[in-house]
Amino acid sequence: MKRIAGRIAFNLFAWLVVFVTAFPLVWMVITSVKPQFELFRIPPTFWPEQITFEHYARLLWETPFLLYMRNSLILSTATTVVVVAVATLGAHSLVRFRYPGREKLAQLVLFTYLLPSVVLILPLYLMMVWLGVANSLLSLVIAYTTFALPYALWLLRSFMQGIPDDLENAALVDGATRMGAFFDVILPQALPGIISTSLFTFILSWNEYLYALVLVNTDAARPLTTGVMNMLISAFNIEWSLLMAASVMMSIPLIIIFAFLQKFLTRGFGAGGVKG
Amino acid sequence: MSDRIMTGVGRRAVLGGTMALGLGAPMVARAQAPVQLRWWSPQTAPAQREAYMFQIRTFEEANPGVRVAFEATSDEGYPAQMAAAFASGQVPSVVTHLPSFALATYWQNGLLEPMNDVINAVGPQNYYDGANRIYEITQGQYCGTGIGNSAANMMWLRRDLMQAAGVTDVPRTWDQLRDACRRMQRGGVFGAPLPYGRNSMTSLIFICFVHGAGGSIFTPDLQVNVENDAFRNALEFYKSMRELCPPGATGYSWGDSLTAFVSGATATGIYTGRVLANVAAQNPRIADHISCHRYPTISAQVPHWTFNDFPSVMIPRQAQNMAVVKRFAAHLFRPDGYIRQLHAAPGHVLPVLKTISAMPQYQENALINKYRAAVDLMSESAAAGHNLGWETTRHRPNVHAGRIIASHVLSEAVQRYVINNEPMTQVVSVTATRLAELMRA
Amino acid sequence: MSSSSLPAAPSHPSRRAATAADRAAVNPLDRGYALLGVLLIAPTVLIFCAVIIYPLVSALYLSLFSIFTPTLAGSFVGLRNYAELAGSPEFWRSLLNNLIWTVLTLTLQVVLGVLAALMLNQAILFRSLARSLILFPYFVSTVVAVLVWRWLFNDLYGILNHTMMWAGILDMPLDWLGAMPNAMVSVVLVGAWKYFPFVVIAVLARLQTIPEQLYEAATIDGAGAWGRFWDVTLPQLRDVLVVVILLRAIWDFKEFDLIYLLTGGGPIIGTQTLPLMVYKEAFGMNEMGRASAVAVAMMLVMLVFMLVYFRVLKARGEEPR
Repeated sequence: MKRIAGRIAFNLFAWLVVFVTAFPLVWMVITSVKPQFELFRIPPTFWPEQITFEHYARLLWETPFLLYMRNSLILSTATTVVVVAVATLGAHSLVRFRYPGREKLAQLVLFTYLLPSVVLILPLYLMMVWLGVANSLLSLVIAYTTFALPYALWLLRSFMQGIPDDLENAALVDGATRMGAFFDVILPQALPGIISTSLFTFILSWNEYLYALVLVNTDAARPLTTGVMNMLISAFNIEWSLLMAASVMMSIPLIIIFAFLQKFLTRGFGAGGVKG
Repeated sequence: MSDRIMTGVGRRAVLGGTMALGLGAPMVARAQAPVQLRWWSPQTAPAQREAYMFQIRTFEEANPGVRVAFEATSDEGYPAQMAAAFASGQVPSVVTHLPSFALATYWQNGLLEPMNDVINAVGPQNYYDGANRIYEITQGQYCGTGIGNSAANMMWLRRDLMQAAGVTDVPRTWDQLRDACRRMQRGGVFGAPLPYGRNSMTSLIFICFVHGAGGSIFTPDLQVNVENDAFRNALEFYKSMRELCPPGATGYSWGDSLTAFVSGATATGIYTGRVLANVAAQNPRIADHISCHRYPTISAQVPHWTFNDFPSVMIPRQAQNMAVVKRFAAHLFRPDGYIRQLHAAPGHVLPVLKTISAMPQYQENALINKYRAAVDLMSESAAAGHNLGWETTRHRPNVHAGRIIASHVLSEAVQRYVINNEPMTQVVSVTATRLAELMRA
Repeated sequence: MSSSSLPAAPSHPSRRAATAADRAAVNPLDRGYALLGVLLIAPTVLIFCAVIIYPLVSALYLSLFSIFTPTLAGSFVGLRNYAELAGSPEFWRSLLNNLIWTVLTLTLQVVLGVLAALMLNQAILFRSLARSLILFPYFVSTVVAVLVWRWLFNDLYGILNHTMMWAGILDMPLDWLGAMPNAMVSVVLVGAWKYFPFVVIAVLARLQTIPEQLYEAATIDGAGAWGRFWDVTLPQLRDVLVVVILLRAIWDFKEFDLIYLLTGGGPIIGTQTLPLMVYKEAFGMNEMGRASAVAVAMMLVMLVFMLVYFRVLKARGEEPR
């Protein structure tokens, strides 16, 4: 009897903790469907007295939100493809090949992973100006590799270290070339790791703010993070419902990833996010 | 460090020097599109955007092969964004609605194209007298031109709350204002939404209070003028109002302050005519209970002082297709589009062309009709208004005003004294020193 | 190559394999392979040089100039930027803020993270849903997190003030972000909320690999719940915590978005950390040279702390893998 009561109490407590942690996000969704005048109620209502989707409609049709969304999608996808392709080759090289300087290189990766963006951002900014690509999505893709590549390389390296050497050796004995073995044996084995890494890279790029703030000052290349923030600091009005609707919409790709691919995310964490 | 070498190096030298350190990067070819203009403005309420789209559409129809993209900037964000744009050479073609003093700073650094051609295309005789005087920093050359007037520090009152609190007269002096706010502050409603954040609004509004105390930030020949009673009285009064403002006022800027009054959370407001449109759209139940007045001063002897940031038009010198750009800038004044722009927020941006004010199309607007007295008062106040770039008619233009606002020296003075409770003498002397440094740089 | 590698513990066998491979490098076939290996890593190295090493060196170079951001015109000033920093109270205050923020938020993250992980490791109803909900704050954009929290903190309409007033904790709305020390507390709390899931994930993964027998043995020895945690769980978590603390300390130290968007460094410079100072110098004050000097100084501070951390770990015989 006491055991069961204890169990129930523990469950209640645990879910209370979960609820408190998730509350800000719940509140975000609730606020986004409240009409503007209901927000001005003192004290605030908890459940909306009237549910409206007008903020979502306005967001989509009356603001540049869709443009920002498009930019973010292109930007994150491009960054992910470039970074994961380069990092997969690089990680394979670091794990399966022996050449002088290899260990030093691996350490360097670890070090650059820890560099503050703000140190790199001013020279990068000048570099983009000089290259003539400032103010474009391309400049952001280049800038994003500064944090995404070391991260991806590190994750993939840990994944690939977990693939037994025997498999590749067997393929080589059967007469495969190294690259052949890479494509036929290593890649399939590393696929879950590559998926995890891609997801992480995508999320990192999707959420990046500082580079986008400094390197881009045109709507044509502005991603969601800085675009949505600009809506807040406009002087004419502060529409919290609209901002919450934007926050919800901005999180949708993450929710999708979370709902369907969560095991890849946590696996990525276990494998590389934490281990040196 | 004592043997430092001061070598003058130009922009190319610094850039080239950094590049020489690295590897030769490949050049990126850029495709030549049809003529593409970029128009920036911090005034981006949906109704205003709609008016801009109309102006863009009519211009594109009249000029085949030209595309105009509108892009939003913001009152707090434009200094950094403009700095980045100038540095990268990827500048907008036309920038509207920045305060006149921002232009003066850019002009001083040789970053702007003279606007004489545009003013001539609009017709100098159509402007109100002296409307462009503030832009004539170099004799005979205009660094920009006005696209509107604004009266940033109008006092807005809730007549219903005044009545309920037994306040009969519109406050004329600071003491009366504070007293009225104190009586109306109850039941979750605060007295006033004065800004105390580290931002442009706090700087601008505080300048109004310094003038309301009979002072100025600079003397007419631009010496720092803050170590005196007027400045101290303004700080003191501003601090005494803190308890009559919402708790979050320590972070307030334009949007927060406006929303506080419009939503009914404060009994008085301090803003332009934008209040009218926002009340109509968001909180119509107070629409019949609001009135607009000039902001009180320390005593009836000190005249009112209106902050007009002179919303402007400017063209960066580096802009491409200059002839088309100038044509577009002039196009913004064509009555059909210009009136739409003004009607997007009646009373907020006021016309600079007397020809427009006289047009029946401009007069015929529901809000302008409903609040005729308020709009007239704002027009009159704004026309006689000043700002930090030109504090009184006796002042020389101050080309450092834009940098002073962007440096937040004045809003920091407010924060130091009101929020951090630093001693008055220290706050004033630090402010004086920093202002002097900014004027020298 | 070694064929006995265990997937679970990759680093040790591969270290052994490295020496074997180095010996085998005399083999001409292997030298061919080495070339291929270099070829495969080449794109990575090139990109690293272009976007990381080169900007890093440039930052050092720029910090020796005085540069006006909009025109990029500048003059060489040697070490004057650094001398000015050393004498600038704002720099030291920002550094102090940076340390306060890092230590406080990191402590909260680790404590909350370990507790939440222990909780989620127990059998509770709908455990995987609970886990997802706890992890989500880590994955949402900082922009979203900041918007949501600013709305919660809102002075007039914020649910936080009203809930606390309703519960009798406050009788007036609190100014969460505009006054000290509230602003620092708020920033630390939001930082802890946003980043503690990182600790949860790492610790949870480790908890699941602790052999059940260890607990059984401890129970037989008469250890209670607290004793089992202290003698079994904590030592097992030590490795993972050493790395997690290092990573989070570095990331928290260089955090920009969260603080910049929540308070902008205010009131005045009450919550201004070094990354914010870099941004302000470069694009607010238009002093790109001085901004670079702050950035370089900040990196040096981080390096010193990392070295000290590794020194301490080494002295105690615990090196992160």
